[in-house]
Amino acid sequence: MRLARPLENLIDNLLKLPTIGPKTAQRLALYILKMPAAEARQLAQAIIDAREKVFPCSRCGYLTDIDPCFICRDETRDTSILCVAEEASDIIAMERTGYRGRYYVLNKNFNLMDDNNLEDLNLDSFINQLASGEVKEVVLALNPDIEGEVISRYLAGLADGHGVKATRLAHGLPVGGDIEFADEITLRRALEGRKEI
Amino acid sequence: MEARDFRNLEKLTYRPGSGLNIILGDNAQGKTNILESIYLLSVGTSFRTGSDKNLLRYDKETYALRGLYSCNDRNLEAELTYHLKSGKMFKINSKKTTFGNPLRLRVVIFSPDDLFLIKGSPHKRRQFLDFILTQIKSEYNYNLVNYSKILKKRNLLLKREQYNTRSFAIIEEVFIENAARIILARINLINNLDEYAASIYQEITNRKGNLKIRYALSFPLESGKINHDALKEALKKQIGEKKEQEIKRRSSLVGPHRDDLNVYQDGRIARYFASQGQQRNIVVALKLAELHTLKKISGFNPVFLLDEVLSELDREKRHLLLDYLQEAGFQSFLTSVNLDEIDHKSAAVVTVKNGHLQ
Repeated sequence: MRLARPLENLIDNLLKLPTIGPKTAQRLALYILKMPAAEARQLAQAIIDAREKVFPCSRCGYLTDIDPCFICRDETRDTSILCVAEEASDIIAMERTGYRGRYYVLNKNFNLMDDNNLEDLNLDSFINQLASGEVKEVVLALNPDIEGEVISRYLAGLADGHGVKATRLAHGLPVGGDIEFADEITLRRALEGRKEI
Repeated sequence: MEARDFRNLEKLTYRPGSGLNIILGDNAQGKTNILESIYLLSVGTSFRTGSDKNLLRYDKETYALRGLYSCNDRNLEAELTYHLKSGKMFKINSKKTTFGNPLRLRVVIFSPDDLFLIKGSPHKRRQFLDFILTQIKSEYNYNLVNYSKILKKRNLLLKREQYNTRSFAIIEEVFIENAARIILARINLINNLDEYAASIYQEITNRKGNLKIRYALSFPLESGKINHDALKEALKKQIGEKKEQEIKRRSSLVGPHRDDLNVYQDGRIARYFASQGQQRNIVVALKLAELHTLKKISGFNPVFLLDEVLSELDREKRHLLLDYLQEAGFQSFLTSVNLDEIDHKSAAVVTVKNGHLQ
């Protein structure tokens, strides 16, 4: 069946979004058509605004509309501790824990299977911060996979070169989980990282 | 066990016996599909195809497998469902889990393909070891996947002539770390396999043959001690020495991806000296050793799947294997076109026709 061109265009564009399949794209497009005109315009404007006004902070890489971002400006934060994360979404998660140090977001996926190298990671501001002498500890909050391990080793080497201690998040069991159903790898990591109580 | 819309099995309910089970049927009736479904409930992937789509019954979007089994007197239920859109879901006792779950069913498969184990490429022999190890410890598979990723990256950097970077040094560090882990696990496995294979081979050959299996490293190991640190040290040293060659050939020349499994028959390397018949005996011994080793290390009784291998063995060997299976205390499943010459006094026999049990 042929659809009206503008509708088809909208569906095609929604389809480009992650997790959106043809059925969802169609449902969303039809929903947008039913929205009051003002709301639809608001949605379009919100997309344009976010796209134009939000950018990675030049200091930490977190998404912001002011530079440096509100985290980097916050003087109540502990500047001696720097947490390195892969994505801005990881920072949102870290913030929920009550962590009050600063961050550094890599914002670029390093994948062993892709054609990229550790040298391609944008680390200028990270190295400047290490060199400033303010940072005493780098917390590596990278995903617990092989890529995370490779990046962690690389960054730990850089930190060591500036006499800065590097730590990484513990690997272990999810809270509320069932030990019997934990996979062997997680359980072994948890055993290796056990703590005295 | 039950299978729904799995290959030509529309709706199959199968209650096998606890010892030897024989699945009879003409070609293309669904014998191997039954073995495959048991295999899937254990391993999660097929031994025949890499694509789950191929496992769907014609025109269907979903298949479902369910198996009841017990391990160490504990009753368990494994369920695997696949949907064209949402993919696979695996449950044990109704809880969503992965194929790394320690309570999963363990299997050993013996198919005509295995008869090339001795004469075939080293890759096949490494696969033989890797499959057993994955069943013993899911961590092994995790290490293996990581190793192959790191190896690919290292080769790429060699190809690009980027071997003087910090990137390369870090990759190499992680490469050696993972390589040592894999090698150590394989050597430990072989020590176990060797013991069983030797005594089983004696039995098969009426105490006339002598079998030894050894891990063949792709690099020299000077110290007599085999441990993680010694292996790392040796790998590092050899990689240092081979560096120029690696740069020239633009690929990694040292590591578990270049190692092999050496089988010695009466002191001579079997892949050069063993006759066809002898090779078959060796493969039978290796497969039975796999069964025993898996039981010993994992603590679970594995299920033995034999796909059309009887016709590949001579009469004497066939009897020997069948007697063994009926007495060994393992549950086994064997497919065959006919019962001729099959001594099946204590076996449970079913016939498959067109995807249905008769």
